[in-house]
Amino acid sequence: MKKRLSPLGKKLRFFKPLETYSDGWSELSPKDREWEKLYRQRWQHDKVVRTTHGVNCTGSCSWNVFVKDGIITWENQATDYPTTGPDMPEYEPRGCPRGASFSWYSYSPLRVKFPYVRGVLLKYWREALQKTSDPIEAWKSIVENPEKSKEYKEARGKGGLVRASWEEVNQIISAQMIYTIQTYGPDRIAGFTPIPAMSMVSYAAGSRFLSLVGSPMLSFYDWYADLPPASPQIWGEQTDVPESSDWYNAGYLMMWGSNVPLTRTPDAHFMTEVRYKGTKVVSVSPDYAESVKFADTWLAANPGSDGALAQAMTHVILKEFYVEKQTDYFYDYAKKYTDLPNLITLKKSGEAYVTDRFLLASDLGLDTANADWKTVVIDEETNQLVIPKGSIGHRHEGKGNWNLKMEDENGKSYQPRLSLLGVEDQIEILHLPYFDDLKRDVIKRSIPIKKLQYNGEEIIVTTVFDMMLANYGVDRGFGEGYPKDFNDLEAYTPAWQEQFTGVERKQVIQIAREFAQNAVDTKGRSMIIMGAGINHWYNADTIYRTILNLVLLTGSQGVNGGGWAHYVGQEKVRPAEGWQAIAFARDWSMPPRLQNATSYYYFATDQWRFEEHPMSSLIAATVEKPRYEHAADYNALAARLGWLPSYPQFNRNSIELQSEAAKLGKSSNEELVDYVVQQLKDNKMQFAVEDPDHPVNYPRTLFVWRANLISSSGKGHDYFLKHFLGTVDGTLSEENPELKTEEINWQKEAPIGKLDLLVNLEFRMSGTALYSDIVLPAATWYEKHDLSSTDMHPFVHPFNPAVASPWEAKSDFEIFKGLAKDFSEMAKAFLPNTYKDVVTMPLLHDSPDELAQPFGKVRDWRKGEVEAIPGKTMPKLAIVERDYTQIYDKYISLGPLLEKNPVGAHGVSWSAKEEYEQLKSLIGVVKKEGIAKGLPSLETDRNIAEAILTLSSATNGKMAMKAWEAEEKKTGLKLKDLAEDRQNERFNFADITAQPKEVISTPVFSGNNQDGRRYSPFTNNIERLIPFRTLSGRQHFYVDHEIMLEYGEGLPVFKPTLPTQAFAAYENAPDTEGKSITLRYLTPHGKWNIHSMYGDSLTMQTLFRGGPNVWMNNQDAEEIGIKDNDWIEVYNRNGVVVARAVVSHRIPRGTTFMYHAQDKTLNTPGSTITHLRGGTHNSPTRIHLKPTHLIGGYAQLSYGFNYYGPTGNQRDLKVVIRKLKEVDWLED
Amino acid sequence: MFWNQLLWVIFPYVMLTLFIVGHIYRYNYDQFGWTAQSSEFMEKKSLKWGSILFHVGILMVLGGHLVGLLVPKALTEAIGMTEEMYHAGAIFGGGFAGIITLAGISILLFRRVSVKRVRVTGSYTDMLIAFLLFLEILMGLYNTLGYNLFVGEVDYRTTLAPWLRGILLLNPNPALMEEVPLFFKLHTLFAFAIFGLWPFTRLVHVWSIPLEYLKRSYIIYRSRNAKRAVQIRQANSKSTHPSQL
Repeated sequence: MKKRLSPLGKKLRFFKPLETYSDGWSELSPKDREWEKLYRQRWQHDKVVRTTHGVNCTGSCSWNVFVKDGIITWENQATDYPTTGPDMPEYEPRGCPRGASFSWYSYSPLRVKFPYVRGVLLKYWREALQKTSDPIEAWKSIVENPEKSKEYKEARGKGGLVRASWEEVNQIISAQMIYTIQTYGPDRIAGFTPIPAMSMVSYAAGSRFLSLVGSPMLSFYDWYADLPPASPQIWGEQTDVPESSDWYNAGYLMMWGSNVPLTRTPDAHFMTEVRYKGTKVVSVSPDYAESVKFADTWLAANPGSDGALAQAMTHVILKEFYVEKQTDYFYDYAKKYTDLPNLITLKKSGEAYVTDRFLLASDLGLDTANADWKTVVIDEETNQLVIPKGSIGHRHEGKGNWNLKMEDENGKSYQPRLSLLGVEDQIEILHLPYFDDLKRDVIKRSIPIKKLQYNGEEIIVTTVFDMMLANYGVDRGFGEGYPKDFNDLEAYTPAWQEQFTGVERKQVIQIAREFAQNAVDTKGRSMIIMGAGINHWYNADTIYRTILNLVLLTGSQGVNGGGWAHYVGQEKVRPAEGWQAIAFARDWSMPPRLQNATSYYYFATDQWRFEEHPMSSLIAATVEKPRYEHAADYNALAARLGWLPSYPQFNRNSIELQSEAAKLGKSSNEELVDYVVQQLKDNKMQFAVEDPDHPVNYPRTLFVWRANLISSSGKGHDYFLKHFLGTVDGTLSEENPELKTEEINWQKEAPIGKLDLLVNLEFRMSGTALYSDIVLPAATWYEKHDLSSTDMHPFVHPFNPAVASPWEAKSDFEIFKGLAKDFSEMAKAFLPNTYKDVVTMPLLHDSPDELAQPFGKVRDWRKGEVEAIPGKTMPKLAIVERDYTQIYDKYISLGPLLEKNPVGAHGVSWSAKEEYEQLKSLIGVVKKEGIAKGLPSLETDRNIAEAILTLSSATNGKMAMKAWEAEEKKTGLKLKDLAEDRQNERFNFADITAQPKEVISTPVFSGNNQDGRRYSPFTNNIERLIPFRTLSGRQHFYVDHEIMLEYGEGLPVFKPTLPTQAFAAYENAPDTEGKSITLRYLTPHGKWNIHSMYGDSLTMQTLFRGGPNVWMNNQDAEEIGIKDNDWIEVYNRNGVVVARAVVSHRIPRGTTFMYHAQDKTLNTPGSTITHLRGGTHNSPTRIHLKPTHLIGGYAQLSYGFNYYGPTGNQRDLKVVIRKLKEVDWLED
Repeated sequence: MFWNQLLWVIFPYVMLTLFIVGHIYRYNYDQFGWTAQSSEFMEKKSLKWGSILFHVGILMVLGGHLVGLLVPKALTEAIGMTEEMYHAGAIFGGGFAGIITLAGISILLFRRVSVKRVRVTGSYTDMLIAFLLFLEILMGLYNTLGYNLFVGEVDYRTTLAPWLRGILLLNPNPALMEEVPLFFKLHTLFAFAIFGLWPFTRLVHVWSIPLEYLKRSYIIYRSRNAKRAVQIRQANSKSTHPSQL
């Protein structure tokens, strides 16, 4: 090989004579082309790896990551999505600037590189361990010493993290866990990680470990206030929405509280493209948002007034398309798929009536199974009462004819009557609850009724449709109490809404007409994209129900291009069944403890002690007084009636109840359950929630991974800091002397620092990491095997490691696997026995528990109203055996219960026996001696991914066929054809790494995406007549639970925002010198971040002001002398945040925006009120518990993890804003 | 004796060696760092004055030094230039050039220190070399004007210049430096220090005057690797690409 010339050598060619031509006009250059290498090498790479981002942005975009010299260099959007077919834009390409900047994190200064422990704690630990040489004793000596424990808790959030080895951190965590299990029970340990869909294996990594230990996993969808409780209320479905390409099928598209271009960046093109087909796009938004830019019409409703707007639109549609003209398409749909024809009993209230509950077969004395759970309609022709198929009673009776055919139980066909008008016995006055910004009132309206006589009792009934017309004030000649026309100010006319929304009546009438007429013309292709803008309110479910009226009444739901499209959170785990089985270790033990996070944090952070409003200010005017004045009391009720899960569970150790019972000679499981029930009945043992501030009931340990709890989702941030973590905080609130609990013991002093250990797995130094006692360096999304899916598209994407984790980082799976190993090892010495753990379980959704508490009436065993029966009138009690020495063996293997028990989801289940066997050869078996030997191996994250794909119907054709077969057995319908064409497909990890692949149609989801059809929810319910999973089996306008009626939410109503002020009347606000202004405080999603991710990266910081900022209207700003970019202080009773003002006329007057999840780690000065650094966007927020969300044990209102339950809503708040006089960086 | 040896023999040779070897090394191993590192992007106004004054001045100064130091006294006298003429030229010409250069470097140094964007984006050596140049030029100007006017004439052409020529001709005579006044000595030492640092600073740009443009033709051809060209032609002829049929 020729030796290469050095640059200097080459340069010397200058002196070499040149070959010249054309009389010296041209010459041969002596230079080579080496210099071009620079430009070639810039884009050269050694390998390209397909992966994605696990960030709950709902994008789930496929990305290629480029690696060069072992270093991640950049990423590119994958472009090889399968086509969506002709006449439809493609999914390719997907991505956004945030995702494109992710590789910055891999080697950024924010990267957590080593395991860290807070210095104070580590010092005490090493001292104690040296002294005692017993890890449990060592931990005990620290945590039970008040000074020491106070000291390390106070140090949280103040730096001082020091490096430790993996062995040492595992030892501390294991010792702490074992101490806690011995002293208080496994339910005092908890795990919080959200959104499995964004990285399923990593979620499962920790949840599997904790489930094996018996520790609860905390929910997230409800806690994030992303769960729309209206969805289970109406459909019995958590959330099921169309993929984004289905927007392109819409004929009329509304964006309501959803800023599509900003928050659904990779999908927004479908919305912009459909406009070129002639689809009209309407945006409802209080501010001039990006979505408004793309809209043909902007309805600028005041924040929180969306319900009023939708009520008026409903009024227009009912009046013009149901009464003045009877639209056939709407009537057919209403009769077949909604509860509008159902009969409702009315209750006498003075001279008039109020609505009560669904008329049931048992009211008619009919001899049929589950008679308390079968709803009744009237046949149009015969005027006879009919028990249609499809209600929840049919669902759980196991006769296999649960469907929506228009037949009664005996197969006789019928046509339901929507209204009693014309066949009524009488016209009576109905009292309906009414709410607005100023008052709670009663609307009095005439309504046709029928009188039924059974067993000598008179039952007054009417239909849901008649109640709807009465509620909406659509007159059919009754006159009195009804508005005369659209201009009458009576509820709920277009003129009426004007006063709350500020939207002109003309505009409302026009949009309502267009929306409905489009549905008539296109058979239901009217769609509403809705989102967090309207879903984070206290009364979000009432807002949603009023808006969903529009798609239900126009027959748009369950139609491609129509219906609701709620996108808040990446909620759809496509391979659901396989994931659930592995994530909650159902292959080894049942049931796992799954806790709703809102209740957990509400009590753990003591936000419950600082409620400002009594419930009597929120109830319906048709009700005399609320059941309780304090929201927390409803939660205590919900815990003891089995409505909600409630962990920590009892004020006693759940693994010690066994020995207590044994002392009384009760050794069998049944006797143990009896003993527990008796203890509860005799009030010798309490639910922990009944005294949450007693040290015995504190939560003790929390693992947080894939989440930024403290700086992103921790609403009531400063309550977290104070009561949960015990460090410095900025709360300014006081306890309300007038508002105390009845069911919950009120400890005199609110505790400080309940939590003993906060462990955070993170790859960047986020707010949560900074407040944690132990920070473990996690792998990034470019360093592990995992799976991702979303509701926005039908693919399942892989994560693949582009490089091995640098420094000492490990994947979440490897971290928990290591911990499981060390924990099991330590347990051999300190928890050597097999323990019987008494696990309480709420009455579960999609199970026969839905039939536990009939008629929607509250019957309290403690008051002696019913007998205390586990699983019926109180929580279920399960006994789970725990052998803590075998946690690791179980963790790394797929357990035998999977072979024995069926898998499934959403109430369908089938056997996975063959797949279990198949997995043994697919992923190999465990070779380690012990109980795991010979079982399918879950020793790597890739094996887990492979097992999830194999065990799920969306990704395994054989499983899909079994699932449809199971669904056929339940419904008596022919359904298997929905997956038949793909029955031989089985996704494996290599497949989806090679190219994205569309999932297979499965009964686990309600829509059909066969043969390239775009996914839209409920299309199978509509086309295949599979009932909805509700009381009536149809879509509900009326929800009849006693507590729903207490709060006036039987029918869709308008409810104003909470009457919250910045400070309560009994509180002392800080002195304000100078000018200040009180504004509504909203925290919508931002443009340069996804929650707190990306926001702290250099790239994104550069795109906007490079630090915390708060938007306000220019006139509001002027009023208090604030100019753009001034430093301001934003505060209320919950805390203080310091930020720069962004002054813009884009923001409506009276409202301020602090875009979501701005951490206080960058450019945040101190507050003059608290003298602490800044605060986060959540410092001024807190949550309010809504009693109607706590209902359980009743049809579709039964509890499911992330399915139903109180939302962590944080929006109904006001703040005071003033100029920051002095900017103090707190650096001296 | 030792000091004389060190300062006037060892030190200059070490610096000159660094100068030569350093340049070769840097040119071969730091092609992309071989640049003037212009900071015009960061600040323009004062650079315009500072840079032009400095560069014009330093070229004049360079000319003066070449004449004064490398041309032996005998030669100038032989062509009829008297001592007075020479000195008048040196004082007026050199003084003028020195003032321009000093003004230029002063602006550049002040700019480098006071403009934050320039300061924080520049490197440590940028600051060092600007400071050294400032000192060097200040002393040079003092030697030219101040010393000559206030102290008395120094005939460096019989001491310093022959010593320097001795160094360059590898025949150093440190004794020649003994009688040279302090500031001339310091000026000389600083000059060699700057030579030593030169290859490791932005000063390397001095060697990148694009001389090749002076003689380059208007049209440039580049030869393709002849061997490779033949290979490709052969490979193509075997393929069944339509263009070959």
